[in-house]
Amino acid sequence: MKTDVLIIGGGPAGLSAAIETASRGLDVTIVDEASQLGGQLNQQTQVMRQLPSVYEPMRGFELANKLIELIKDCNVRQLLNHRVVGFYADGSVGITDEENVFPVKAKKIIVASGAAEKAVAFPKWTMPGIMTIGAAQTLINRDFVMPGREAVIVGSSDFAMETAIQLMDVGIRVKAIIEKQSGALAKEQEKVSELSRSGIPFYFNSFIKEARGNGQVEQIDVALPDEVITLNVDLVCMDGGRAPILDVFYQLGCSFGFQEELGGWVPQYNNRFQTDREDVFIAGNAAGITTQGPLLLTGMIAGISASEELQAISPAEANEMREALWKELGLLEYREVYSGRVKHLENFASPVLKDQFIS
Amino acid sequence: METNYETIVIGGGVVGSGIAYHLSERYKEGVLVLDKKYPMSGTSGSTQAWVWVHNKTPSWYAEFNMYSAELYPYLSKKIGDVEYKRTGGLSPFFNESDREKAQKLAESYRKIGIKIKVLSREEVLEKEPYMNPEVAGATYSSIDGNVNPFRLIDMYMRAAKRNGVRYSTYNKVTEIKKQDGKYSVVSDKGAFECKNLILAGGTWSREIGDMLGVKIPVNQLRGQILVSEPLKPFLNFTISGLRQANNGEVLMGYSMEEAGFNRATTLDVIQETANMAVQYVPGLRKAKIVRAFSGIRAMPEDGFPILGKVPGHENLYVAATHSGVTLSPLIGTLITELIMDGETSIPIDRYSLSRFG
Amino acid sequence: MDKTTIICRCEEISCEEVEEVISNGGRTFDDVKRITRCGMGPCQAKICTSMVAEIIHQQTGLSPSEIPLPRMRMPLSPIKLETLATNSTSFSTVKSVLDEVELEEGKVR
Repeated sequence: MKTDVLIIGGGPAGLSAAIETASRGLDVTIVDEASQLGGQLNQQTQVMRQLPSVYEPMRGFELANKLIELIKDCNVRQLLNHRVVGFYADGSVGITDEENVFPVKAKKIIVASGAAEKAVAFPKWTMPGIMTIGAAQTLINRDFVMPGREAVIVGSSDFAMETAIQLMDVGIRVKAIIEKQSGALAKEQEKVSELSRSGIPFYFNSFIKEARGNGQVEQIDVALPDEVITLNVDLVCMDGGRAPILDVFYQLGCSFGFQEELGGWVPQYNNRFQTDREDVFIAGNAAGITTQGPLLLTGMIAGISASEELQAISPAEANEMREALWKELGLLEYREVYSGRVKHLENFASPVLKDQFIS
Repeated sequence: METNYETIVIGGGVVGSGIAYHLSERYKEGVLVLDKKYPMSGTSGSTQAWVWVHNKTPSWYAEFNMYSAELYPYLSKKIGDVEYKRTGGLSPFFNESDREKAQKLAESYRKIGIKIKVLSREEVLEKEPYMNPEVAGATYSSIDGNVNPFRLIDMYMRAAKRNGVRYSTYNKVTEIKKQDGKYSVVSDKGAFECKNLILAGGTWSREIGDMLGVKIPVNQLRGQILVSEPLKPFLNFTISGLRQANNGEVLMGYSMEEAGFNRATTLDVIQETANMAVQYVPGLRKAKIVRAFSGIRAMPEDGFPILGKVPGHENLYVAATHSGVTLSPLIGTLITELIMDGETSIPIDRYSLSRFG
Repeated sequence: MDKTTIICRCEEISCEEVEEVISNGGRTFDDVKRITRCGMGPCQAKICTSMVAEIIHQQTGLSPSEIPLPRMRMPLSPIKLETLATNSTSFSTVKSVLDEVELEEGKVR
């Protein structure tokens, strides 16, 4: 199979890259493991207000539908229930439909592989009933399954606060929010206030000392600064933060840098969202953990840059659009994330990790 | 850290650590192993780790491998469980026309006392019921087997350290100088002095030799290997091309590519290896592959080990070879004899660096 | 971290086992992996990477940027052998052992 642009990952960033490339007449292929496009948006029920100016505020799953509708009119080949296995020596991407593995030769590749959640280790954290906040969110919003009745959340990021509210909305009792730092990490204070108003205690400088249960979590010991308390719970949601998913970039031979504000190790890229493998572009959380609006913007910039290299748009026009999108990114993105991104760009020529296959 | 040593070994892989351990049996202090990363991060940690004799040619080289394989049971008694299993080795062939070649191999081995049987299709299937019934035959040798390479090197290191050997890891050698009859080895973490210097740099032997103006003609040969999820034990033998590990994982692969120091894997070779595996053992079709890895073999220019004293350099020794896993107990023993006694119990003149002129 | 805490759930490797490798000179995730099998199971280190990095950081003082990523491998996720296989029986880079036996004047060399 041949295509102009292969987009790996059909979440918000991949879809916005698809819109930018396909609307300019390029032959675009999206590959995604899931049976529907939209990625994490599909289980996000909260209203997203900080979107790029071309989008009205809407709920996550509504945004997914909107993006999918926008690519419908263009020439986009959708390889759903397909996954990338690896790469051939000639640079073709090996994709499987679970029957066979076949090569896809793409002129440009845009990787929007997203982010993975990190777990929080404590004794017996591998017991059933203990899961990441994302897993809990997927269960309630996508699968309509109640993961438990009485929960605690370990961690206090925006994502954790959002999930705590959604758990309460479906009738799960949130007994505490446990944070090892001395204050809530969420940037949107209103969610923290909303939870406090509902009477949910925040235990700061605290951590889970141990979980117990018979085949399923039943009880946890929480180490507070000056005492240990025991809570009866059947659900522990862990917020260990998120990190970019890197395996595709690693196999493609891209270089990496470390940027705490972007989630740790991140592929190196320039202001065109182009990696140091010139035919490979990057978009979305893979390029640094951020919020929905900026995710879309990174996909748009990557799509425009790939279109420019394939001469579907003039360099002058591309530059102008990129500049405007970067400006918007600076407005929509949390300040420390944006400045981390700018720092990351500056390291493009001097990556910490490169030539990973040369021994 | 102590900077003066009787003996320094450059390279802590299976060859270097094997030598360090065997040396430590004879003298307790004064051995330092330098490794640019951590042992196992190179060739020794990316191998199927067959302990393999049976297709090595000429027969004198097979004999050399056999002596080493014979040392394994004793080695595991000394250093601890390295998961060595003398399973016997099977090399299947699928064309009847290969039988003649197999018989010639068996014939040439008979003269040196290595028993190789050429099996019929029925005999192969009786030994290894999951082998493809379309197999034409196989060569079989009872001395072949495999070992867990990680356990092997870890145990070498632990035993050596117990005997007083020092390891300095993540410490790359950058320069070697000869001063007043001693060697000064300059590394990232400072300079070390020694009387005896052993070059066991594996794939990097050429680069290390260059530091002393010694040409060690070792090239790189890449192999790619697939690993399955753990399966219930069902393979009895070390089959040339695949084996089942103690934890049930099946390791598959026997590929050769010239790719320098590039350790990438490619789907081209991964798929070809998958074809080999399902041809040999069709029952593997449903098994899931969880990872693939590449190893860079150290391959001397003529294919044979380079062992012994470096001509024209006093107290300088080299041990560079492929099949390091199979040969490490013997190489460790012989290099130790050479240093301690000035001669070896098995002649190694044939493996001298001098043969390259 | 409690010594008995499981770090790698696929291979059931505890914090203590990880720490031992580091105290013996290991510095990277891959050093830990080769000696303990931490990260070698079905998930291929997708969950334990950051925990191991944290332990290395705590024990050695290395900053996160000095602790390299683990080697990532194909296949990017587990895949059946039959899906990978194309069922061709002609080989180029993959050899059979008998291929390697060299004959000279009709005799094994």
